[in-house]
Amino acid sequence: MALHLNLLHEEILEHRQRQRDPLKIGIMVLVSFGVLMFLYYMWNAYRTLEIKGRLSVVERDWAKVEPTVTAAQKRSTELSNIIKTTRVLDEYVDNRFFWGPFLQKVALCIAPNTQLTSIDGSVLEDNKGIAVSIEGVAAGREPRAAAEDLRQMLTEQLAQSYGDVKVEFKALEDLDTIVNVSGTNLAMARYTLTVGFNPSPAAKTAAASPSPRPTRGPKQ
Amino acid sequence: MSQVHIRKDQIQKIALSTVGFVFLLYVYFNFFLGPLNRSRNTMLTAMKEKQSKLDSSKSEMSKAASLEQQAKTATTRFAAFKALNPEGAPIAWFPPRIKVFFANEQVDKAVARLEGSFGFKQAELADWLRYNWVINIPQADYARLGKAIADLENTEPLLSVTKISIHSLQDQPQFQQVDLVASNIIQKK
Repeated sequence: MALHLNLLHEEILEHRQRQRDPLKIGIMVLVSFGVLMFLYYMWNAYRTLEIKGRLSVVERDWAKVEPTVTAAQKRSTELSNIIKTTRVLDEYVDNRFFWGPFLQKVALCIAPNTQLTSIDGSVLEDNKGIAVSIEGVAAGREPRAAAEDLRQMLTEQLAQSYGDVKVEFKALEDLDTIVNVSGTNLAMARYTLTVGFNPSPAAKTAAASPSPRPTRGPKQ
Repeated sequence: MSQVHIRKDQIQKIALSTVGFVFLLYVYFNFFLGPLNRSRNTMLTAMKEKQSKLDSSKSEMSKAASLEQQAKTATTRFAAFKALNPEGAPIAWFPPRIKVFFANEQVDKAVARLEGSFGFKQAELADWLRYNWVINIPQADYARLGKAIADLENTEPLLSVTKISIHSLQDQPQFQQVDLVASNIIQKK
């Protein structure tokens, strides 16, 4: 085996140590990472700029249509409010109680031997019904029977148009007064009737098909 | 096998490089990439929002157009309701109108006075007020009165008679004295 003498041992070792210098290697690694990160940053910056461009396009488009859309939204809200208000007003109009037909029905029930002295009626709170008080006098051989006839007639007439009709005597008393009707002297009775009913018709009538908004009034 | 001997100065250099690397990462993420990403995310969110607004704007426009069609009847009716009542304070025009109305029905001397006005609980009628009126008719014939009330109810859709009181006159039993309580819905001016 040949003998090999390395006379530059120290120089070579020094060269190797310079090559393996951790600071140098670290700086190289840092620079490499720095370059990679810079490239990544640039890629991201490019994407961001692209998004910014798209955003400005969308904003331009929106700025063009915004006044129209805002006006349309405002108009929609206004129209919705009008529709709702009109619906509530229509309900109010439809749910009113019409006194004209009621007065007509009362007039139809009055026989020549009965007379009304007062009618006091009112619509109960929240349209829960109608309450009427009718006072009058009846004349006849049996004045109480005449008053009863009126009560029955009222019940019959009102039941044709209204629901839950109740006509009851609150008071019925004979009077000492004698009245002359068509040449005949007749006894008299004073009565007070309480009438209660629901303005909406009875169930069988309510089941019928809806009709246009009624215009009500006494028949001529 | 050769063993790697790391000297003290080399360890210091490695440590210095590590610190430099950490510092580089910190600066990069906090001052460069982080703000960039945040700004990009903000722009993306803004863009999505605007885009969704743009997309919904088309449906909003078509909805408004169709609503306009649907609401034709309602708007006409609403305008008619509004037109029922003239401008000005109701106390100024309602009593004369009632007087003229009953006079045209051959029921004279009708006097209307205001009992009060109230707002509505319903949000839909926030712009409307209910006015309660007492209408006094000192002398009326029953048949004419009935017809007049029916005509009033038919010509004034926003007026509702809530109370009625008819009493025959002592000296003239063919005539009646009448008190009506009517409530009228009137838009706030």
